[in-house]
Amino acid sequence: MDSDDELAACLRDGDEKALRAAYDRYGAAVLYLAQRMLSSRADAEDVVQLTFVAAWTGRDGYDPRRGTLLAWLLGIARRKAIDRMRSAARDDRLTGIVRAQPVPQQEAERPEGIVDRLVVADELGRLPAEQRRTLQLAFFDDLTHPQIAAVTGLPLGTVKSHIRRGMASLRQRWEVDGAASGSRSTGSSRIR
Amino acid sequence: MQHLDPDRLVLLAFAEEPGNDDETVHLARCPGCRHDLASLRQVAEIGAQGPAASDLPAPPERIWLTIEAAIADSGRSPAPVRRAGRQKRRWLIAVAAVVLAVAGTVVADRIVRRAPAETVIARATLAPLATVTAQASGSVRVLSDGEMRVEVHHLPLTAGFHEVWLIDPDDLTRMVAIGNLPDRPGAVLPVPPGIDMNRYRLVDISDEPNDGDATHSGRSLLRGTLTN
Repeated sequence: MDSDDELAACLRDGDEKALRAAYDRYGAAVLYLAQRMLSSRADAEDVVQLTFVAAWTGRDGYDPRRGTLLAWLLGIARRKAIDRMRSAARDDRLTGIVRAQPVPQQEAERPEGIVDRLVVADELGRLPAEQRRTLQLAFFDDLTHPQIAAVTGLPLGTVKSHIRRGMASLRQRWEVDGAASGSRSTGSSRIR
Repeated sequence: MQHLDPDRLVLLAFAEEPGNDDETVHLARCPGCRHDLASLRQVAEIGAQGPAASDLPAPPERIWLTIEAAIADSGRSPAPVRRAGRQKRRWLIAVAAVVLAVAGTVVADRIVRRAPAETVIARATLAPLATVTAQASGSVRVLSDGEMRVEVHHLPLTAGFHEVWLIDPDDLTRMVAIGNLPDRPGAVLPVPPGIDMNRYRLVDISDEPNDGDATHSGRSLLRGTLTN
C-alpha cells in the first residue's frame, strides 16, 4: 500500500488496514484543516472522526481520476466542518437561551485557502529529495537561486532546473486537487 | 512569437529578478505566458505559507479508536454514517439521564471517599465573551477523582452569583449546573460522576440573579472547551 493508487484500491475493496494507512498518512492534514475552521479542538477531533468514517462508508464514491485521496478527504472534512458550524449557529438561534457566541472566535482563514496550502505541502513532500530541498530553501528560507546553489553546493543550473520542475509539479497538483476538492468551484474560473 | 523561457518565468514568479523590457512587452501581449506567471506566483505564495511537515503533528490515537468503534458499529457493508451517529447520541443521552438521576446521591459519597489521584483528565482555558471586559479570564481542570478546579480572574461584579455549567455545544439547550463560585479566585466543585465530558464539554460561567429561577440566565461571562 505504498502508493496512493494501491491504497485507494485496497480501501475500495473494504480493507480496514487501508483506512488506517490513510489515517496515518492524511489524518494530520485533516485535523489541521478542521482545527483552522472550528475554534474548538474537540469539534475538530469530531470532524476528523466523521471524515474517516464517511470515507469508509462512502469509499465507493472515491474516483482517483478526479483528484488525489488527500483532496477527497479534505473535501469531506470541509463539508463536515461547515455542517458543524451551521448546526452550532442554528442551535444558537433556536434556543435563544444562551445567545452569545460559543467561544470567542478568531479571524478565520477561508477553507479553500487551507486546502490549497495542504495539497501543495503534500506535493512538496512527494518531490525527489533534492528538488524538495531546493524549494524548501526558496519557500521557507526565502533564498535566491544563487544563494541556494551556495548553500547546497549544487551548480546554479541544477538549482534552476530543480526549482522549475518542482514548481511545475506543485502547480499541476494544485490545479487538479483544488478543483477536485471543490476549492475553486466558485469565484474566479481558471483557463487551462 | 517567442514565449518566455520557463526558467525565467520561475524567477519572475519568485520576484527574484525584475522583467526586462522585452519580457514586459511580451507579457502584456501574451495571455498564455501571463497566465503561467500568475499561476506560478500563486503556487510560490501558497507554498511559502506552509504548513511545513513539522507543522502537521500526527493526530492523537484516541481519534482512531473512535473511528474504529464507529466502523465496527456500522458493520462491514456500507451504511449511512448518520445512523451510527444517532445511535451513539441516543446512547449518550440515555447514559447522561441515568447519570443525572443517580448523581445527587453519589456525589456526597464520592467526596467522602475521594481517591488521592491528582491526574488531570480534561482542561479548558476560559475566555471572556464579547460583552465582558477583555481582562476577565479563567481556567478549569477536571481531575480523575471527579473534582473540577475552577480559577477565575477579573469577573464582572454580580448582584447575584456566578454559576458554572457544562453545556453540550451541539445542543445548547442541554446543560448541567455544576455549582456556584465563591467570592475568591479559586474553587473546587464536584462533577457529577459519569457525565460524558466529550458531550458536555463547553464550560460556561454565567451571571445569575437571585430570582429563584434555576435555569441559565442567558448571561454568559466566560467560556472554554474542555480538551484532554
